[in-house]
Amino acid sequence: MYNLLIKELKIGVSPFFYILPFLTGALMLIPGWLYFLVILYFCFITVPNMLGGYKSQNDLMFTSVLPVTKADIVKSKVAFFVILELLHIVIAAIFGFISIRLYPDLTYLFYSPTLGFWGLCFVMLAIFNIILIPMYFKTAYKYGAATIASTTAAILFAGSAELLGIQNSYVYDLFKGTGAHNLIVQLSLLVAGVAIFAILTIIAYHIAKKRFLKVEV
Amino acid sequence: MLALEIKNLNKKYEHFELKDVSFQLEKGYIMGFIGANGAGKTTTIKSILNLIHVDSGEIHILGKNMATHELELKQEIGSAFGDINFYTRSKIKKLTNVIKAFYHNWDDQTYAKYVKKFNLIEDKKIAELSTGMRVKYSLALALSHGAKLLILDEPTSGLDPVARDNLLDTFQELVKDGEISILFSTHITSDLEKCADYITYIHNGQIINSSEKEEFIDTYRLLNGSNDQLDLVKDQLISYKTNSFGFTGLIHTKDFDPSWGVKSTVPNLEEIMIYFSKKEEKYV
Repeated sequence: MYNLLIKELKIGVSPFFYILPFLTGALMLIPGWLYFLVILYFCFITVPNMLGGYKSQNDLMFTSVLPVTKADIVKSKVAFFVILELLHIVIAAIFGFISIRLYPDLTYLFYSPTLGFWGLCFVMLAIFNIILIPMYFKTAYKYGAATIASTTAAILFAGSAELLGIQNSYVYDLFKGTGAHNLIVQLSLLVAGVAIFAILTIIAYHIAKKRFLKVEV
Repeated sequence: MLALEIKNLNKKYEHFELKDVSFQLEKGYIMGFIGANGAGKTTTIKSILNLIHVDSGEIHILGKNMATHELELKQEIGSAFGDINFYTRSKIKKLTNVIKAFYHNWDDQTYAKYVKKFNLIEDKKIAELSTGMRVKYSLALALSHGAKLLILDEPTSGLDPVARDNLLDTFQELVKDGEISILFSTHITSDLEKCADYITYIHNGQIINSSEKEEFIDTYRLLNGSNDQLDLVKDQLISYKTNSFGFTGLIHTKDFDPSWGVKSTVPNLEEIMIYFSKKEEKYV
């Protein structure tokens, strides 16, 4: 498993995709922007490129002849997804931290980069993973439908969350009102988001593993 | 000891079927696996490597069941696919560094030896290697992790005659010590005439014959005769072709009766393959 993860990190994607989180993260500096988009770029750019790369480089065949189990192949790929996702969120959060200090008096229509907002981003990626990973590992090479479905779901979640934040007074209060300045509320939202992310990603791994065992190379 | 033993392998696809495929390869020998395009060579090889799920049958490698000892056995198998390339934009050096971590018995010295012997330039990208060099790179990897069984799918197709001859010489050198065994599939029959010890012939998903090379060829005779003689022997022939001078046909040696007075010769592998595929057409 460790070797497979190293393999993913070394040859799984072009090094460009390790720099991309810094480029997209810098978008956090746009004042009052729709910050969900920053994380969504991972779904828009990295994922289809990565899966397309696997397909064109015959990764499935390459990995399958190595002395590794099929379960480990899935586990390493899911772990790789998670590493890239964390990279995107953590770097964006750092830029978000700078952004808040850069524009202290800004009125945000959409969510500002609070801890609670990052919790929502984790939930968005959790939804993305639970759709993408099981769908992709049905064949382990077809990625069109899986990326479209998972990205659409992530966008829908982001859109609904923003709408609720504007229209629903409870949600508004939690993320933008008094809750925004309450560290415990913010931390709880983040922890809840991370927990949902972890649970859904683990479930996605188990479904994907089951499906991948039936895949013929 | 058997390096590879395949027993009653069956795998059904919508348009193609492997039917009761069985053969075995003795340790220290080269087996050529021949058959036309689409005959089932790659499917069989994929079954050996456990890349596809077979419907029934058993595969034993170096005395162990592949289904239950897959990881352990994959440490001892080297494989190469002539027509499939991996990570072509990566440099040899980088790819080797990734691959070697997976093998317990990886030996850097052996790798360096083969890199030198095969004239591989480590700074080159896979895409920059010729087809022959790619196969050699796969061999270098396999040999460096101490593979005892090399399974090569069409390693010689796409190679020029010089590169092919060179690669076949390498195969023979590898099995010399009796430790390494090679199974390689090909549709280029002259490769086998040069270096195979055993031949397994697959046709339409079924094994037609699997035996020692000379014995394999000796199983068949090629008959040449007039059209009158054709009527006499027609029913015994595997298949035949006619021309204005008469006919040429393939027959099992056991069915051949010298008293017919028909001229017979020992066929080459290509002729055996051609007449077998003609047999199929006859019934269509």
